[in-house]
Amino acid sequence: MKISLNRTVGWVVLVLFAVLFTLPFVWQISTSLKTEDQVGKSEFDLVPKAQTMELDGSRVEVKPVSRSGANQVIEVMEGPKKGAKLTVDSNQLTLRPHLEWSNYSDGFKAFPFFHMLKNTLVICVLVVLGTVLSCSLAAYGLACVQWKGREILFWAMLATMMLPAQVTMIPLFQTFKGLGWINTILPLVVPAFCGNAFFVFMLRQFYRTIPASLMEAARIDGASDVRIWATIVLPLSKAALAVVAVFSFIGAWNDFLGPLLYLMDDEKYTLAIGLARLQGQYSSDWGRMMAMSVVMTLPLVTLFFLAQRTFVEGIKLGGVKG
Amino acid sequence: MKSRTFTGIAFCSPLIFGLVAFTILPVLASLWFSLCNYPILDPPRFVGAANYVELARDDRFWHSVRNTFTYVLLSVPLGMIVGLGLALLLNQKVSGIKVFRTLFFLPTVVPLVANSVLWVRLLNPQQGLVNTFFRAMHMPEAWVPGWLSDEHWALPGLVLMSLWGAGGGAVLYVAALQDVPKELFEAAELDGAGPSQRFRHVTIPMISPVLLFTGVMGLIGGFQEFARAFVMTKGGPWDSTLFYCLHLFNSAFTEFRLGYASAMAWVLFAIILAATAIVMRSSSKHVQYEQ
Repeated sequence: MKISLNRTVGWVVLVLFAVLFTLPFVWQISTSLKTEDQVGKSEFDLVPKAQTMELDGSRVEVKPVSRSGANQVIEVMEGPKKGAKLTVDSNQLTLRPHLEWSNYSDGFKAFPFFHMLKNTLVICVLVVLGTVLSCSLAAYGLACVQWKGREILFWAMLATMMLPAQVTMIPLFQTFKGLGWINTILPLVVPAFCGNAFFVFMLRQFYRTIPASLMEAARIDGASDVRIWATIVLPLSKAALAVVAVFSFIGAWNDFLGPLLYLMDDEKYTLAIGLARLQGQYSSDWGRMMAMSVVMTLPLVTLFFLAQRTFVEGIKLGGVKG
Repeated sequence: MKSRTFTGIAFCSPLIFGLVAFTILPVLASLWFSLCNYPILDPPRFVGAANYVELARDDRFWHSVRNTFTYVLLSVPLGMIVGLGLALLLNQKVSGIKVFRTLFFLPTVVPLVANSVLWVRLLNPQQGLVNTFFRAMHMPEAWVPGWLSDEHWALPGLVLMSLWGAGGGAVLYVAALQDVPKELFEAAELDGAGPSQRFRHVTIPMISPVLLFTGVMGLIGGFQEFARAFVMTKGGPWDSTLFYCLHLFNSAFTEFRLGYASAMAWVLFAIILAATAIVMRSSSKHVQYEQ
């Protein structure tokens, strides 16, 4: 009896916390579908609604524009009288559930969304390609090839992991400026082709678990190192490479400081910068801002559900910053 | 053997190039800049330790240090406590645990900027979800926090926001909890240890390496907090969310004082190293690694 009571209490608390942690998402989606006048209400209501009224025998959606005494000036939003402004008694208005999809369509227009999505994806794809390629090559060199100096290189690489990005930020900015790379994606993409200490470390640990006899046998058969890397090591490390790919994609998708420093105009902006700027300009337009934050979140949530196992693997492998 | 050295270097050549070009040389340059007066358009001019001396006298610098320490000292321990609480809830034998685990983890997947946009609204004093909840609980109006528009509540607001991401740590703690051998709990129970004693003397020591790991990572990340303050508050109101790295960024890219900002970057590095060392050393007595 006591055990089952404990269990019930534990389960109830679990559900309560789950609701608490999910509520911001529900509220975000609900706000993204609310009309402007409904967003401003301070009571707790997750169902998006709009004002409607009876007009010529059918119920139409209306938008309150201003007040005049007890009366309300409204704009008709649908039906044959669409666009007409009427003064009506407030009693004539009733709230009905309504999804304001225009927050999404207006948002896409206010903010060249698809253009920025393209910019972001170009950077993400190149960063993923560069990181996977350079890190798996370096990890092979560190784990599968015996050579003098590899320990020194390994420890030098580990030492750089402690270094905050702020230390190298200013000299790198000056260097990229000198190279004429400002307002191009090169400063964001080229370093990805030159390895990443964390991912090299992770892959090296993984490659060391591949039986040396496999590679030795291939070598005796005359296979070159590039061939061994491509035909033995890469196929055996798919799971680890997936972790590198997923987390470098997330890193590039979320990166804020990089694009903030190096991209200068609308033409080049990524979603992260575009949304941050929109936050400054349309700070009062809640519906639209929430719609755009939903749109920016959706791809990563989708990726998470598609690759849940890879996520959990990656987090266990070393707390890649989530 | 000579050819193996060539092969090794060839495979590592992108990494070696990256280490030299994007880390080692910039580090040396940064060290040099930190000893120079370097207004972006003129070449750097050596001034010795002048930047560091000025930092020590700069009230705004100390203010940003205080803000950042306050933020780290609040958000890291609270995040670990909430994460551990969620992990204990998730470690129960009830159905649907995977769904709950996903729900708690999902907030950590939200992109930083989208998260910032969302929390600016959640923390809105009038219409935000957080205060709507407080009002629904009949909290007196004078107590309802002004969050990001109130200099005393802006930093706690960002801490609250960071707690939404506590599920990331929880996933790690759950994995560690499930690795604790059942026999240990049974032995402790046989010896008469109650639930709280088992928690203190078995659970905590057994997962202490993971706790330490998340603590140190949280610390390092916390000191580098930048984007959220940049998007949500610009450091305001009244500099109450002026984090160290935001101050550094402003010094470099709005005031164009590259030497001064470089000195700040080195002080940051020193702070991170010192804080990590202190945590590692003070915890070495308490953290138990399996033999």
